This record gives sequence, structure tokens and C-alpha cells, in this order.
Amino acid sequence: MKKIKIITFILTIILITMIAFFGVYVHTQNRMEDKVKGYSYAMDLEGARVIRLKLDSGTRTVIKDGEGKEVKDAEDLTDEELTQKGYTKEEEPYNKDETLNKENYETSKRIIEKRLQELKVNNYTIKLDETNGDIVIELTDNDDTDFVISSLTSMGKFEIVDSQTQEVLMDNNDIKKVDVMYGSTSSTGTAGTSIYLSIEFTKDGAKKLEEISTNYKTEEDEENTDNTTADENTTDENSAADDTSSESEEQAKEITMMIDDEEIMTTSFDEPLRTGTLQLTVGQATSDEKSLTENVQKASGMAIVLDCGNMPLKYSLEGNEYIFSDITDEQLQIVQYVVLAIVAVALIILIIRFKTLGILGVFSYVGLASLFLLVIRYANVILSIEGLFGIGLILILNYIFINSILSKIKKEKDKEIDQINKETYKKFFIRIIPICITVITFTFINWTPISSFGMVMFWGILLMAIYNYIITKNIFKIIENR
Amino acid sequence: MKNLTTKNKILIIILILVIIAGIIVTANIGLNFDLKYEKTQKIELNLGKEFEISDIKNITNEILQNQEVIIQKVELYKDTVSIIAREITEEQRNNIVEKVNEKYGTELVAENTEILTIPHTRGRDIIKPYILPFIIATVIIIIYMAIKYYKLNPLKVILKTIVICILTQLVLLSIMAITRIPIGRLTIPLVLIVYMLTLIGITTKFEK
Repeated sequence: MKKIKIITFILTIILITMIAFFGVYVHTQNRMEDKVKGYSYAMDLEGARVIRLKLDSGTRTVIKDGEGKEVKDAEDLTDEELTQKGYTKEEEPYNKDETLNKENYETSKRIIEKRLQELKVNNYTIKLDETNGDIVIELTDNDDTDFVISSLTSMGKFEIVDSQTQEVLMDNNDIKKVDVMYGSTSSTGTAGTSIYLSIEFTKDGAKKLEEISTNYKTEEDEENTDNTTADENTTDENSAADDTSSESEEQAKEITMMIDDEEIMTTSFDEPLRTGTLQLTVGQATSDEKSLTENVQKASGMAIVLDCGNMPLKYSLEGNEYIFSDITDEQLQIVQYVVLAIVAVALIILIIRFKTLGILGVFSYVGLASLFLLVIRYANVILSIEGLFGIGLILILNYIFINSILSKIKKEKDKEIDQINKETYKKFFIRIIPICITVITFTFINWTPISSFGMVMFWGILLMAIYNYIITKNIFKIIENR
Repeated sequence: MKNLTTKNKILIIILILVIIAGIIVTANIGLNFDLKYEKTQKIELNLGKEFEISDIKNITNEILQNQEVIIQKVELYKDTVSIIAREITEEQRNNIVEKVNEKYGTELVAENTEILTIPHTRGRDIIKPYILPFIIATVIIIIYMAIKYYKLNPLKVILKTIVICILTQLVLLSIMAITRIPIGRLTIPLVLIVYMLTLIGITTKFEK
């Protein structure tokens, strides 16, 4: 019976080891396919999307009046009309010479970094060339990468201006927080979900908004034959209307909301806004999942861009490519062989010191290592270089554990295996409690290299506790018969 | 210091000397950063076919006179090579293109291959994401240590834990500065391992 148990144990370990190291191949469509899940690698081991942002050297056409003030809404005028009105056309660079300085480069880098954090990019490197402002970013490549990239070049300039005088009434400095909100609507006859961009203003901003909404109040024109009601073309406390184009525009003072110099809406207010928040509808209310996702993504992008502040410089995307890691499979294999060689030497020492018990200890150790490698794969742990070091650390810790339990069995021959196991567990796990604290903390960190280490260690320690209690202890019990 | 044995005193003196030497080296010549974090130059060659990194490495070794180089495959089809080195002159670029054309039968034009400059990564940008996790973990560990070993005088336990954790990391960084081991991708994992081993060491000491 004892022999059968030992043989069963050894065969099980061999099976797990074969699966973990060589896989399970099944004939699929004229080829052999490994059915065992592969490892997921982080940016440093797999590859990264490399983005190159360059300062935009382009220009924009600006129309100025006789006093040198910029005139909006004059793009459609012909050259003759411009001359008649005394306007002049000028080409103005997006990035003026006086803005090209180290301070602005640094601010732009800081804002881009903030956007990456808000977009929950959990692994990136950012490099700034202080001489020319170029920024090179390496980031994890996944389904969201293109969306992330699209949010990096936007300047995030927010302005509420007087539609007629172009006087800036509010800007980014007045924004406290921008969020995305959902709301169900059925006003158009078909029920759907609307996506709102909720802009919360600072204390000063809220005061300004109240003043603006009082000053730019919709003037209802009783003689207006169009009978346009205030509700149709004004913003109330909970929602902002889309562009208004009623005839009453001529009577009402209006504001224009602009993001990155692009007109988002022109409106006047139905009543003073005292809540300090403004909500803009993004897209149209819809029940179509695809459109809804697009609207949410668009709103999220805008919210993050506005939330992170205004970039002082305009950047353009110069390069965007996927570059594989410079750590090749061959290099990883070399590391694997070196680790295997060290483990082999350590295990031989175990066999020499503890003879038969040592051999069983080695089998138990190999079994845990194999099972551990399978758990990492099926628990979807992303492996980074830190994670690889975590694997190494677990192998060391388990070796220390097996070694101490074997030493105790050898020394204290009178004690029962259960008692020895209990004492070893207590001593060992008390000593690694600080490691457990660190590991649990790291698993919650949104930074892949750290969380990779945390996750690897978490599964390793958990497996050590369970596996050694069920397998290692019992196998020593069978052989020692105590 | 009066409770310390002579052996411990010598060890502490050596560690302090190592840290001082590390600070002096860092202050004078700075840390040695890995090529990945240094200011570099890069060229990309679209070969239009798969290639072996070792073959490209042979070419760069010959032309860039064995200077450290990062060679990477670019894009899904892995038919473009990116070569990064501290400095690539126009002449070196021309020679690399010529050799690559010879080896792969391509007709790449050197003048069409731009030499791009990649800025360096700042040390503080490398360590920034790791600071908060380490602080959180250390604070929780300190609280745990103070409660668990309250009989050993909590204040002493807290101080010892903090001092030992900081000292070991400083020693590691000083050794890296003195021996000119490059600060690179292995630095943070090394810091993590040293941190973990330090924690085991501290707990073992307090348990005794």
C-alpha cells in the first residue's frame, strides 16, 4: 500500500511536470496544437507601442480686425469682403516662438503623463527631449492603445467666449473636474441612453458661470413669429442644448463653448446656473450598443483631456509603431537553463543530505514548481521582469521550507510528522508575514511591473501553503510512518 | 553602539563607508544608465523579409565598433529592424545600409533612412511609479512590526525596521554606483529582492 501511494505520488508529479514544461498537444486542423495556456507577457518582455510626438510646425489662418483682434466666424468671407471690412488674413504658427521653452515642454510632458494615468495605462515610459520638445512614449499595446494615443495630441484648451466680441469668459483654470454621466431619455419618441459630459467648475468658476448665465439669458421675443420657446434653444441646469439657430439669436446675447479652438456649441441660458456644473450632451441618445460605446469613449476622452489641463503647446503624432522587445526568446531560454541548473544543484544537495526523504522532497519541490507555472498561466498573471524575479523568489522560499521541514524530521525523530509540519509552518509563515503584506499591497497597484511581482508572489505563497500541507506533509508521513 | 559586538561594529563601518563612497561617485560622475534609458540614436530599415537579429548584430558590431546596440524587430510582420546605439553617424548609417543590402539583397537607400534621436529617460521617471507602493507596503509592515513585537519596545522596532530597510537599499545603490553596474531593467527587480530578503532578515532577528 505504501509503495502504491508513493508511486502514485511520483507519477502525478511527473504528469504535472510534463504538462507544465512540455504542454498537451492535440491534433487540430493538420497541425499539433498545445492546449495548455501560454504565458502573458508585459511590455518589457513582449513589446511596446512606440509613439513619437513632435511639436506641430503647422500654421493656422487668423483673420484680424483693424485693431489687431482675432475675428471668428469670418472664414467664409471672400478676400474682397475682408478688405471691405478692414480685416486682414495672417498665417500664425500653432506654436509661437516665445512658447518654445523648457518650461512649456515640461508642462506638456506632465499633462501627457497625467492623461496616461487617467486613461489607466498601467505601463509606459515617457522621454522628453529638452532641446526641441520631442516626446517619445512607450506604452503597452492592447485594444485601448489607439484610443489612448488619440487622447494624447489634443491640447485640451477649453474656453467659453462671448459669441460676438470673442471675449474669453471662462477657461481651463475654472474647471475643477470633468466626468462622464449617463441618462435615459425618451423625449424623441424612442427610448435611449444619452451620454453627458459633466463639467464641474471651481468656486470662482461657479460664480463666473452664474454671472454668465444671468448676463447671457435668453430674451424671449413675443413678436417672434417663430414662437421659439426657451426650452428648445437654451441650456438648463441639467443639460445643454445643441447648436441653436433660431431667429431669436439676433436678440439674445450668446456664448460659444470651444474645445481646442473648435466650436462645440453656441447657446444662451434659460435661467441662472447656480450648481457650478454644466452638462453637455455627447452624440445623440441611442439604444444601439455600438453607438453608445462610441459616445462613451468620445466623452471619456474629452473628460480626461479637459480634466488634465491645457497643454501649452500643440503636438502632432510623428511616429506610431509596434516594436518587439529586445529580450529575445533565446535570451529567455538561457535564463531558464541557468535557473534550472541552479535548482538542479540545490536539489542534488537536498538528496545528498537527506537520502530517501531528500528524493521525495525533490519530487515534491518539482511538483510545486510545475503546478506554480501552470497556476500563473491560468490565473492570467502578466509576466514582467519583476514577475520573473518573483518566480525565482518563490523557488528560493519553497526550497528553504522543504529544507527546514526535512532538517526537523531528521533531527527530531521522536516527534510526529504532523507536529513537525505544524511547527515548521508556524515558524516559516510568521517570518514571511511582512512579505505577504508587501505582496498583497503590490497586487492592488495599477502598475504592471509591480502588480506582476505581487500576483506571482501571491499565487506562489498561496500554493506553497496549500500544496505543502496536502502533498509534502502526507508524503513524508507515508515514508516515515510517524 | 555600546551593545554591538566588534564584528557588528566593523560591518556597520564598512556599510557606511560603502554608502559614502557611493554618494561621492554619484555626485561626481553620476549613475551609469543602461542604453535603454540613455540618449540614443536610432535608424530603422525596412527589409521586407524576416531576418535574424544575430546577423544584424554582426553587421553593427563591425560598423559601430562593438559599441552597445539594441536591435529590435518592428511591427507585426517583423520585417523591419530598429537599430539603437549611443551614436550613429551618417557614415555609419550608410555602411550599415550597404551591408544590409549585401546580406539581404535589398535596395535600401541610405539617404532615405533618417537618424532619429531618442531622448534619455530620467532617473526620477523610472522610480516614480514604485515610490508609492513601497511607501504603502513599508508603512503597513512597520505598523505590523510595532504590534507584533511590542514587547521589544515598539519605537525601537519601528526605528530599526526603517533604518535597516533604507540602509540595505542605499548599500545596493552605492554598490551599483561604485561598480558602475548600469541602472536598467534589472535594477527595480533587484531592489525588490533585496527589500524582500531584508524583511525576512528583520523578522528573523526580532523572532530570535
